[in-house]
Amino acid sequence: MSLNLRFRSKTGAAALAGAALLVGALGLGRAALAAGQNDAPVKGGTLVYLEQQPHTNLYPPAGGFYPNGGILNQITDKLTYQNPKTLEIEPWIAESWTVNADATEYTFKIRPGVTFSDGTPLDAAAVAKNYDTFGRGNKELKLPVSEVINNYDRSEVIDSRTVKFYFKKPSPGFLQGTSVIGSGLVSLATLALPYEALGDATKIIGSGPFVVASETLGRELNLTARKDYNWGPAKLAQQGRAYLDSIKYVITPEDSVRIGALLAGQADFIRQIQAYDEKQVEDEGYRIYAPSTRGVNNSVVFRPDNPLVADVRVRRALLHATNAEEIVSTLFSDNYPKASSIIAKTALGYVDQSSKLAYDLEKAKALFDEAGWKPGANGLRQKDGQQLELTAYESLPQPQNKETLQLIAQQWAKVGVKLNVLTGDSGTATVNNLDPSKAPVSPAMVGRADPDVIKSQYYPTNRNVLLQKGGNSDKVKSFVDDKLNALLDNLASEPDRAKRLAIAGDVQAYVIDQAYAIPIFEEPQAFAAAPYVNGVAFEAVGRPSFYGAWLAPH
Amino acid sequence: MSRYLASRIGQALIVLWAAFTASFILLQALPGDAILIKFLNPELGLGPEQIADIRASYGADIPLTAQYLHTILNFLSGNFGYSVQAGVPVSDVLAASLPPTLRLATLSLLVSAFLALAIAALSALLPLSWLRSFVQSLPSLFISTPVFWLGILLIQIFSFQLKLIPVINPGEWQALILPVLTLAIPISAPLAQVLMRNIDDVMTEPFVAVARAKGASRSWVLWRHVARNAVLPTLTIAGVLFGELLAGAVVTEAVFGLNGIGSLTQRAVGNQDIAVLQALVVFSAVAFVLINLVVDLLYPVFDPRLRITGAAA
Repeated sequence: MSLNLRFRSKTGAAALAGAALLVGALGLGRAALAAGQNDAPVKGGTLVYLEQQPHTNLYPPAGGFYPNGGILNQITDKLTYQNPKTLEIEPWIAESWTVNADATEYTFKIRPGVTFSDGTPLDAAAVAKNYDTFGRGNKELKLPVSEVINNYDRSEVIDSRTVKFYFKKPSPGFLQGTSVIGSGLVSLATLALPYEALGDATKIIGSGPFVVASETLGRELNLTARKDYNWGPAKLAQQGRAYLDSIKYVITPEDSVRIGALLAGQADFIRQIQAYDEKQVEDEGYRIYAPSTRGVNNSVVFRPDNPLVADVRVRRALLHATNAEEIVSTLFSDNYPKASSIIAKTALGYVDQSSKLAYDLEKAKALFDEAGWKPGANGLRQKDGQQLELTAYESLPQPQNKETLQLIAQQWAKVGVKLNVLTGDSGTATVNNLDPSKAPVSPAMVGRADPDVIKSQYYPTNRNVLLQKGGNSDKVKSFVDDKLNALLDNLASEPDRAKRLAIAGDVQAYVIDQAYAIPIFEEPQAFAAAPYVNGVAFEAVGRPSFYGAWLAPH
Repeated sequence: MSRYLASRIGQALIVLWAAFTASFILLQALPGDAILIKFLNPELGLGPEQIADIRASYGADIPLTAQYLHTILNFLSGNFGYSVQAGVPVSDVLAASLPPTLRLATLSLLVSAFLALAIAALSALLPLSWLRSFVQSLPSLFISTPVFWLGILLIQIFSFQLKLIPVINPGEWQALILPVLTLAIPISAPLAQVLMRNIDDVMTEPFVAVARAKGASRSWVLWRHVARNAVLPTLTIAGVLFGELLAGAVVTEAVFGLNGIGSLTQRAVGNQDIAVLQALVVFSAVAFVLINLVVDLLYPVFDPRLRITGAAA
């Protein structure tokens, strides 16, 4: 009996010890992996990157579309580099620059020894040609103008390493504009191609750390590292070639397959992971990156040309009837911070407006009553025989936009306003979104880490989200806000930095006071990565940069 | 025979022209267009004069009849225009999408034909009646299976859990195993159903009773006598299904990340990429016309009674 007990206890002890060893080994293994992340970068390897949609046209100013930006950011360099943490502009292809007092003349000194991947030099002449195209467009080749370059007049090549740009009006946002995705420098041969042929990635020749090796349209893209690359952003320690040998982009439209492939070890890095999938990934020890896009927040804007929302009290009432906290906590995760102004907290010139953005149903109802909109028999507010029924078209690129609008519709129903959320296919939605009578409410967001982004969003000749007269819509009857436009003009042309940021604060306060927009959350771009992927950086607006990326042994 | 072929080709050309014209008119009637969608895209942030310039340079405002003649002449010379969305010539996009779809469609049809034959044969030859009933209910089960669910399930089990087949970056033929299975199962259902009904019908014919009386076994009767008769209507259905497969298996391609005609069509529709859509309509019309021609030519091969003889005329 005692022998058996001892035997049993011995096996029991052995089993326990074995289990402890196993757990210890696993723990050590995890620790080893964690330790490996701080070691020196490992050279070589292929990063498998799963993208949700195929790229479209790769003309650099069209790089705003995330799949395009993800590719352009690896194969092109920019004149300057915007530090993602401090948002300061640092030298890259341009070693140094001078700006005249009223920001109408910019002179850049180009770094020597830079070449495009086809061997042609990236000198002042090439830079001049690039910016002539981005700034003025090219009618014969149908190349459109870049959104970030305003009032461009001409360039002047002073010598092989110096180029000067002239502007018709002060352009303080130009310096930041030289660092954005849309200003990637491409070779003269690329600039000679017609716009409609720039969808072939192998034809885009840049000077970046990676080069397009091959492409299967709509399925995958292969980038290989450029061995003679030697001109990283000036303040980075790494200057030479990228650590990775190659990157493989694979188009995987289905969310569950993308995430499953990452977790099963078939992919290393994926873009676009929805808030509701984040937990599954984090539970497995994989990393979520959610860099902010640092621009205008994901919000819902009004088209005051439509008489239903022309009254500022109606707009203010709807603003107070929207519970952004509920939207963020129900639909999204911690990576999607609630908005406290029309631009992100991390954006330049941000001023906290949260005191004006309170969720207050009583205040909303009082404002409606004051404006003459009384609840009718069916619960909907009415005035002069008209019901307060609004329409919005979902925006496909924004995350869970349909669900957000539906939740807003539920919230507005509590104060007696009906919001119809329509999905149109791109054709009908695009056309109707330009008509204030058809789309009095619209989702809106734009990413750019410069105060000019506010002008980009609201100015009539830019994106014109409020649909003012004089812009891209011919359906607008009369709405124009001269005070707003004057503020935006000043914002884009004030050369003094402190004054410019102050104007940005004024614009934010004005837009919120007029309740033109209801900001909801600060939109990030969500990526997920395997634990052995290190060194992935994100430029100021959340595009990945794989220049410094490396794969730990796994 | 040559007269027959000539008249069929003539009919085919008329069908193609009608499909082209109908789609041209319908596509032009849609609100907005690819140019508008692409350049009004907020990512580009273009102003109104710039967009007007671009539209003019794309010839968006030329009268409809001139555009029609221009397009049809281009088609005849093999120039399908540019995809506004993808930024490459339409012929490039088609050339990239066609091979995956052809492989997928052909293999799926073959596998589903095999499945259908197996189901039909089993339902005719199995000894136990409850087994036969079970097999006969399989087509209903197969057709009710949602394609996306089946595809994702197969990926989760075979690729992610069992790690047998990689879904990302697989070999050329490895890539086809799971999608073909996903497509073949629902496609085999109508084929199996029609085949089973026809076998049942033919089995009631007098000549079958004679053959059995002479001592032939059930399977001999099935394969030697009944099969060729039962196959004809199945052939027509197979032709229609093949045409649909060629037109693109949108859901399967989305789930498996294949760049076939299906995902091309979906993107083109979403972006109203008219040049691509026009080319796709003509391609689908050509595919159906050819398949119908092949099926019609195969009928006499299976059924000697249908062979056109001088005496019959």
